[in-house]
Amino acid sequence: MNQWLDDRLHISRLNDKFLRKAFPVHHSFFLGEITLFSLIILILTGILLALSYEPSNSMVVNSFDPGTVDAPNLVPAAYHSALKINAAPFGDMLRRIHHWTANIMVAASVIHMMRIYFTGAFKKPREINWWIGMLLLIFAALTAVTGYVLPYDNYAYNTLKVIYSIAASIPWVGEWVAQAAFAGKFPGDGVIPRVYGYHIMLLPGILLALTAAHMLIMIKQKHTQPQYAKRIAYKKIVGVPLMTQQTPIMLMLTLLFAGIIVLFSAFIPVHPVEHFGPPSTTPIDNIKPDWYLLWVFGVLAIIPGFEFNLLGGNINSEFVGAILLPTLTLGAMFAVPMLDRSKENLYYAENPTNHPVRLGIGVAFMMLLAVWSVAGYKPELISSGILTTENANTVLWIATFLVPALSYFFVQAVVRGIRALREADERDRTVHAAHADD
Amino acid sequence: MTRYKRQDPEITRRKFINVAMGTTAAVGGVSLLSTLGAANPVFRLTADKMPPLEGDILVHAEESKEGRPITVADLSTQLVRAWAQGQDENGQPVIRKGDPNNILAVYRFPQGQLVAPTNLDATVDGQIVVYSDICTHAGCSVSDSDINAGQMRCPCHSGEYDPKRGAIVTGGPPPKPLAQLPIRQDGERLVVAGFFLSPPYPYHNNEAEWNNVKEEVEEALT
Repeated sequence: MNQWLDDRLHISRLNDKFLRKAFPVHHSFFLGEITLFSLIILILTGILLALSYEPSNSMVVNSFDPGTVDAPNLVPAAYHSALKINAAPFGDMLRRIHHWTANIMVAASVIHMMRIYFTGAFKKPREINWWIGMLLLIFAALTAVTGYVLPYDNYAYNTLKVIYSIAASIPWVGEWVAQAAFAGKFPGDGVIPRVYGYHIMLLPGILLALTAAHMLIMIKQKHTQPQYAKRIAYKKIVGVPLMTQQTPIMLMLTLLFAGIIVLFSAFIPVHPVEHFGPPSTTPIDNIKPDWYLLWVFGVLAIIPGFEFNLLGGNINSEFVGAILLPTLTLGAMFAVPMLDRSKENLYYAENPTNHPVRLGIGVAFMMLLAVWSVAGYKPELISSGILTTENANTVLWIATFLVPALSYFFVQAVVRGIRALREADERDRTVHAAHADD
Repeated sequence: MTRYKRQDPEITRRKFINVAMGTTAAVGGVSLLSTLGAANPVFRLTADKMPPLEGDILVHAEESKEGRPITVADLSTQLVRAWAQGQDENGQPVIRKGDPNNILAVYRFPQGQLVAPTNLDATVDGQIVVYSDICTHAGCSVSDSDINAGQMRCPCHSGEYDPKRGAIVTGGPPPKPLAQLPIRQDGERLVVAGFFLSPPYPYHNNEAEWNNVKEEVEEALT
């Protein structure tokens, strides 16, 4: 049978090319795998949810609370189907698993990127995969945002309204872009079918295609080797093969990870649609985006209001805060491989302390996003008395510049300390070695 | 036989096919792009989507009493959300909530508290004032502030307005004050006395567009 298959599918070639791929043995290399498993869980739970979801914002009678014949209780069909999913056996659980996995996928990919950045794994020849990874991150965030519009409760409705107005704030073409993206003036009659199309067809398709490219390039280029590989077999690929050693590790990781997600989902509820109710004009207090977009939200909360006219286009604080600034931030991340001018190919993961400037800038960058995310909690900071309405913006703007700068110098100091210790060890060793010779 | 290589004076077959393929791709691409036009549906200005018009009465927007006319007794220094209710082409009453940006904020302050830049001529006795309840920043619905008493706060990005001073921006990112809606009192009811005095959200950054909307509405009504 093996022979029969091999004659037709050339499995032995596949085996040599792909199934024997060596995986480096280090726990930090699991982060990318966790991201991949999350995507698979998301697609499986997403298919199940899509089977029961009704993508329409037409009004239907709420079967859980029909009202009277004269005054029927009408709710959008999408919201109604979300209520029905919640009422189905394990329906709410399915939504929670989908939601938690989405959060963990973004978290895992962010930490995965941190590992790549701090060990220099983005360097030649792996620049292309850094860029594909950036696209994956951006499209993952877009998929998540379109996903939490779908239940079409009041929270989703308010979120959608902000997204619409952010799109509409683009100078010159904003209004057209917003209407084309969301099927007419807010809230268009077709807005839910449109967003549904994005969330279940367009964006997952892009994510899958990019993931495939990401992994094929990784298999072609091989992982960066951990430092220990240099000591045990210089210039050789060290690791365990996908088949059969890495596969059981992967399976174990998947099951463990799935278990943790199910545990989370069992005890921590997410996005209770019943609580928020159907779309209404009653605003939701302290509405916030998910944690990975909180920094954009924070910038919008502390940016001063302004607008000016440039050649007939209206440039306002919303455009600058929600589109221009994030574009610059993501642009800086895109540019990371271009800042490295080495001509040599990188084989071994670098020790971050040997590259203190890169390490410092990376930490400062993350602190900047952290400060902006804290700024997203401005109303809470004010109501809890830590800041006042008058000084909140000033304090948060000072922190925007000061905290990253301080953390940069702090990192430099720590790196120096580590180096001093290392050199002292080195001296000790030579002294002792000299003694031994005597 | 190959001694006489035929020189085509005009065009080679390869060149012809390349040009033909290029043209096909270009025309096909452009025609595919034209389908994008369908992404942006036509907007029909129906009575429920029109902005508050002269003669409309103000009704409660809160779900439990939606559609009930607002009386002076319902009002206080706390925000009351309202819709304008007018008539459709058949003379039937219609609440203008087809466009959620039509939501209004109604306040009643003791005499003398409402000051400029509020347009006092557009209020009832300098006591009752009506604003668009849509934040000029990102279009969320604004509430009474839970942090600063007497102020309005947008929950989306912490925009703050002072309802006693023409809803000027007192904090956060909004670029413009909330638009004021002129009203008058008719018996117990509040009646809209005209269009918003300044362009409301989403026209707040474009006076010309708001004027177009006003013209379009007037045209549709005649």
